Amino acid sequence: MQMIRWRTFCAAGAVALASVTGSAAAGPDDDTLRIAMAEEILNLDYNYTTKREYIILAQLTDATLFDLDPETQEFNPSIATGYEWVDDMTLDITLRDDVAFHDGSPLTAEDVAYSYNWINNPDSESNASGVVERWLDNAEVTSPTSVRFHLKSVYPLVLRDMANRIMIRKDGTYGEGADIDRDAMASDLIATGPYKVVSFEPGTELVLERFDEFFGEAPAIQKIVVRNIPDVGTQQAELMSGGIDWMFKVPLDLAESLGATPMAEHLSGPDLRVGFLVLDAGGYTDPEGPLTNVLVRRAINHALNTKEMAEYLIGGSAEAIHTACHPAQFGCDQSVVEYPYDPEKAKELLAEAGYPEGFPLELWAYRDKAASEAIASDLTAIGIEVDLRYVKLESLNQARAAREIPAYFGTWGSGGTADTAAIARIHFDEESDRNMSGDTALADLVLSAEQTADQEKRKEIYSEAIGKIAEDAYWAPLFSYSANYLVSPQLDFPLDPDGLPRLQNSSWK
Amino acid sequence: MLRYIALRGLLALLVAFTVSLAAFLLLNVAADPAQAIAGEDATPDVVEAIRARYGLDRPLSVRYFDWLGGVLQGDFGESYYWHKPVAALVADRADETITLAFSALAVTIVIAIPLGALAALNPNSWIDRFALGVAVSAQAVPNFWLGLIMIILFAVMIPIFPVSGDDTWKHFVLPAFVLGASSVPAVMRLTRTGLIEVMGADYIRTARSKGFRGWQLLRRHALRNAILPVISVLAVQLGQKFGGSVITESIFAINGLGRLALESILGADIPTVQMLIFVFAIVFVAMNLLADILNAALDPRIRIG
Amino acid sequence: MTTTDFTLSAIEGNGEIGALTPGQIFRQRMFGHTGFLIGAGLILLIALVAIFAPVLAPHDPFAQSLSSRMLPPVWIEGGTWDHILGTDQNGRDYLSRLIYGTRVSITIGLGAATVGLLIGVTLGVIAGYFGGWIDHGISFLLTAQLALPGLLLAMALVFIIGPSIWVVIGIVGVLHWTYYLVVTRAATQRIRSLDFVAAAAASGASSRQIIWHEILPNLLSAIIVIFTFELGIAILAESSLSFLGVGIQPPTPSWGLMIAEGKQAMFYRPWLVILPGICLFLLVIGANLMGDGLRDITSPEGRNE
Repeated sequence: MQMIRWRTFCAAGAVALASVTGSAAAGPDDDTLRIAMAEEILNLDYNYTTKREYIILAQLTDATLFDLDPETQEFNPSIATGYEWVDDMTLDITLRDDVAFHDGSPLTAEDVAYSYNWINNPDSESNASGVVERWLDNAEVTSPTSVRFHLKSVYPLVLRDMANRIMIRKDGTYGEGADIDRDAMASDLIATGPYKVVSFEPGTELVLERFDEFFGEAPAIQKIVVRNIPDVGTQQAELMSGGIDWMFKVPLDLAESLGATPMAEHLSGPDLRVGFLVLDAGGYTDPEGPLTNVLVRRAINHALNTKEMAEYLIGGSAEAIHTACHPAQFGCDQSVVEYPYDPEKAKELLAEAGYPEGFPLELWAYRDKAASEAIASDLTAIGIEVDLRYVKLESLNQARAAREIPAYFGTWGSGGTADTAAIARIHFDEESDRNMSGDTALADLVLSAEQTADQEKRKEIYSEAIGKIAEDAYWAPLFSYSANYLVSPQLDFPLDPDGLPRLQNSSWK
Repeated sequence: MLRYIALRGLLALLVAFTVSLAAFLLLNVAADPAQAIAGEDATPDVVEAIRARYGLDRPLSVRYFDWLGGVLQGDFGESYYWHKPVAALVADRADETITLAFSALAVTIVIAIPLGALAALNPNSWIDRFALGVAVSAQAVPNFWLGLIMIILFAVMIPIFPVSGDDTWKHFVLPAFVLGASSVPAVMRLTRTGLIEVMGADYIRTARSKGFRGWQLLRRHALRNAILPVISVLAVQLGQKFGGSVITESIFAINGLGRLALESILGADIPTVQMLIFVFAIVFVAMNLLADILNAALDPRIRIG
Repeated sequence: MTTTDFTLSAIEGNGEIGALTPGQIFRQRMFGHTGFLIGAGLILLIALVAIFAPVLAPHDPFAQSLSSRMLPPVWIEGGTWDHILGTDQNGRDYLSRLIYGTRVSITIGLGAATVGLLIGVTLGVIAGYFGGWIDHGISFLLTAQLALPGLLLAMALVFIIGPSIWVVIGIVGVLHWTYYLVVTRAATQRIRSLDFVAAAAASGASSRQIIWHEILPNLLSAIIVIFTFELGIAILAESSLSFLGVGIQPPTPSWGLMIAEGKQAMFYRPWLVILPGICLFLLVIGANLMGDGLRDITSPEGRNE
C-alpha cells in the first residue's frame, strides 16, 4: 500500500467516524471557534494558575494595565492610559474611565489598588505573589482614575509584570479574614477582557462569548468553545471531521502528516521556549565529578548535533542555539563563544580532561523523548555511558531540589517574555536549584541587571553573563522550539513572534 | 450464614483501609503534589505557596489521619486538581466505568459460554480446538495493543465505530470487546470443564438413556448445573474489570474512573487517588465476597468458611 | 477455580505408573502433544534469536541517524532493503530493535517469574503447612495484594528506586506471586494430611525437614507449570508498564515501549505498532501453549481439563 493512499484512507475513516459521533457543525456557520486543549482547564483565575493553557485563556477573559506588543516588545496602554515615574521607587498610573467588568459594573481605581494589594498580601497565596512581592510595597488610590505604586526596590520590569501577571479583580472579590475564598473567581470569572464566561464545566468544556462592553477593539469571532480532549489522536480525528477548528502543541510528525491533507492546515510559528542541558559544574552531586571539569563540559557541547535535532525532531522554525537564552530575547548576545558539532574534538577534550574512556552519567529528561534519546545517543558516541532517566516533570523537579541530578535536559518558555531577564534569574540565581554552576559571581551579575532601569546597562550585563555561561560551558544549549498548530482551513489565525497564541486575533477567512 | 457474610464484610473493609494506607504512603513518597499542581514553568515560591495552601507542609501521619477522620464521616476531601469534592467527582464518572464493566462482562459471556458449551459437547472436534485456540490467543494478546489494533481496524480502515469518546453506545463496542476479551479464556475453560464433568454425571446418563439428546439435554439438565460455578467466577471477573479499566479507558478516551485514576496518579492528586483506590478495593473485595457467598449457597460444605 | 483443579491432578499424576516408566510416558505424551510442540518451538526459536541477536541484527539497535528517521518498511513505497522493517523516530533500524527486544522480554519474563515463585511458594507452603493464624494472615495479604491496583504500585516503586531492568523484574515479580500462593497453599494442605507426612512427623522429623523433603518435591511439577504461565504473564506485565512509560527506559529496546512510541503516528505508520505487538503475541502464546502442554503431560489422564 502506498503511503499517500493509506493517509487518505485514514483521513476518510476519521471523517466517517466523526459523522457517527455527530459532532456539531464547524466554525463560521454559527460564528463559533472550537478549540481543543489536552490539559484540563480547572480554574479560570490566572491569579491562581501558572500553566500556558491558562495564559492563553487569560488573554481572552482578562485585561491588564498594559499590553505587550509582541512585534515591538513594547508595553502599550490598556486599562492604564499612561504612567509616570515620580522617582525610582514611585510609579503613578492613570486609568481609563470606560472599563467595565463582565457583570456590567464599572472599573474603579479602588479595584486596581485592591487587586495589587491582595496579591501582595501573603494571605492571598496567589501564584502571582512571588513576582509582585519582589517589588511592590503597596498600591494607593490617588484619584478616581489614578493609582500610585510604592516600590520596595528599584525594579525595571514593573510594566512587564503588570502586563503579564496581575489580573484585575473587583474590590473585595476574595473576601477577608475567615471568609477568604481563593477560588472565588475559579469558575464564575468576572473580569474585564474581550470575552466573558458563559458556562464552564471544569475539565470538560468552557464557553466564552464576546463581551460587548469591552473597552478595546472587539474580536472578530462571537463565541469560543474550549474542549478538553486529552488524547492528541482524538483531537486529530475531531479536527478532520470539523468538530474542532484549532489545536496546538501538535507533535511535528502528526502536524506534517495531517497538514498535508486538505482537512487541516499546519501552522508553525516561533516559540520563545528553548531546550538545553544543565550540567552540574558546581559539583553538587559529586564534588570531584567529571562535570566539574570545564573541558568535559565543553566536550559535551561539542558532542551534540543540535542542528539535526532542531531540524528533524523539533521542526518548523526551530533552530540550534548556542546561548543560554533565546536569540530573540533582549540582551541575548549572539557573539558569545560557540562549540560547533565535532565529536572528534569532543573525544580529544575528554581525553585531555583525563577521561579517555568516558565516564558514567545520569541524564534526566521529562519531555521530547526522541530528542532526549538523540542527546543520549550523541553523548554515548563520544564514550560517555549515559543512563537516561526519562521521568515526569514533578519527579525531575523533586530530584533536582534534592540536588540528586548531575545533568538534565531542561526547557524554558520565559512566559513569552522576549527578555533575557525572564530566563537568566530563574536559572542562575543563587537561591535557585536550577542553578548548578556554583558560580556566585555570575549570580550577583544576573541580579545586578534587575536593579537598574537603564536598558543599555542591562544589555551590557546580560552580554557579560551569557558570555561567561558559554565560556565556562555551564550549559549545553540545544535548540529553540517551534509552536505547531493544526487549524481548520477556514480559520485565519495570525502567529506572533513570541509564540503565545492570541485567539482573540483570529477570524474566519 | 449471616455471621459468615458479616465476617467477610468486615474483612473487606479492613482490606480497603490497608490498601489505602499503602497507597497513601507510596504516593506521597513518589511525587511531591505541590510540584505536580504547579506545572512546568513554576518558580519555587509558587510551589511553596501551593504547599501551604493545601496543607502539604504538615507531617504525613497528620495528613493520613486527617483523611481517615473525614472518610469515617463520609467526607473524602477535595481534589487538589479539580477543585471539587472527590466524592462528587467519582460519582460523576462512575456511570461510564460501570457501563464499560458490564458491557465487557456481556462480551465475555456472549463469547465464552457458547464457545465453552460447544467445545464441551464436541470434545476434541474442530470446534473444541478452535475454542482452545481462542482462549490461548486471548490470553497472549497484550490488552493495550489489542485496543490500538481494534482502532486501526474498525475505526480507521473499516470505519464502523468511533475512535474514542463515550457519547453513544457505539463508543462502547470496541472498549467493551477489548476489556471483555481478557476474561474469555478463564470463563470459557471453566464452562467447558464444568460441562464435561456434569455430562459424565449419573443423572445425565439417565436422561440420555431416556432419549434426551444434544441441545435439549444441554438446556434441560447440564447447563444449569455447570453454569453455577461460572457465575461466581463472573463476579470475580467483574471486580477485576474496574481495575482493568485504567488502560482501556485511557486508550479509548472514556471519561470514567480508570482514566480519572491514571490522571490523578500522574497529577499527584492524592485525595482523588485515595478514594479511587478505596473504591476499587471495595468493589474487588465485594465481588469476591459475592462469589464466595454464591459458592457457599450452592455448596453447603463450604458454608462454615 | 481452574488453577486449583489442574494442580491437584498434576500432583496425583506424579505417583502414577502404568506399564511404562514415568519417563517414557512423559516423552510419549510430550511428542504427541501438538500445542506443547508449537509452544516449545516458539520459545526455543525466540530464545535463539535472543542469544544470537548480535549476529542476526543487521544494524546496531542504538545507532541513530536523524536524517533517515521514520522510514517505512521495504514493502511500502520509500522503504529500502537496508532497513527491512524501516526505522523509528530516531532513525534506528526497527528490525534490529525488535531482535534485541527479545533479550529484554525473556530476561524480564524469567527473572520476574522467579521472583514471584520465591515469594508465592514460600508463603503458600507456610500458610498451607502451619494453617491457623499464619494462614489467615497470609490470606489477608493475598486479598490486599489482589485488591491493590498494580499500576499505582509500579509507578511509585519505579520512581523511588529508579528504573532499570532489575527494578522492573523485581516489581513485576512482587506483583505476580498470587497464583503460586493459591496453588501451593491448597496443595500443601492436601499433602500435609496424607499418611506419609504424618508418618514423617511421628518419626520426629522437624517442620523444616518435612517441607523440604516431603512437600516441596511433590509440588515441583505444579510449580513448573505455573512458572511457564507466569513467564507469559510477566512478559505482558512488563510490556504494559513500558507502554505506560514506567517500565523499561529508553533507549533500551522494549516491545511495549516501542508500541508506545509508535502510537502517536499510528494512523499514518501502523506498522510501528503492529510489528512489536506481533512479537509480544508470539512469545506469550509460546509460553502459554508450553504451559498448557506441560500441564496436560504431567496430569494423569493426558488432557484433563
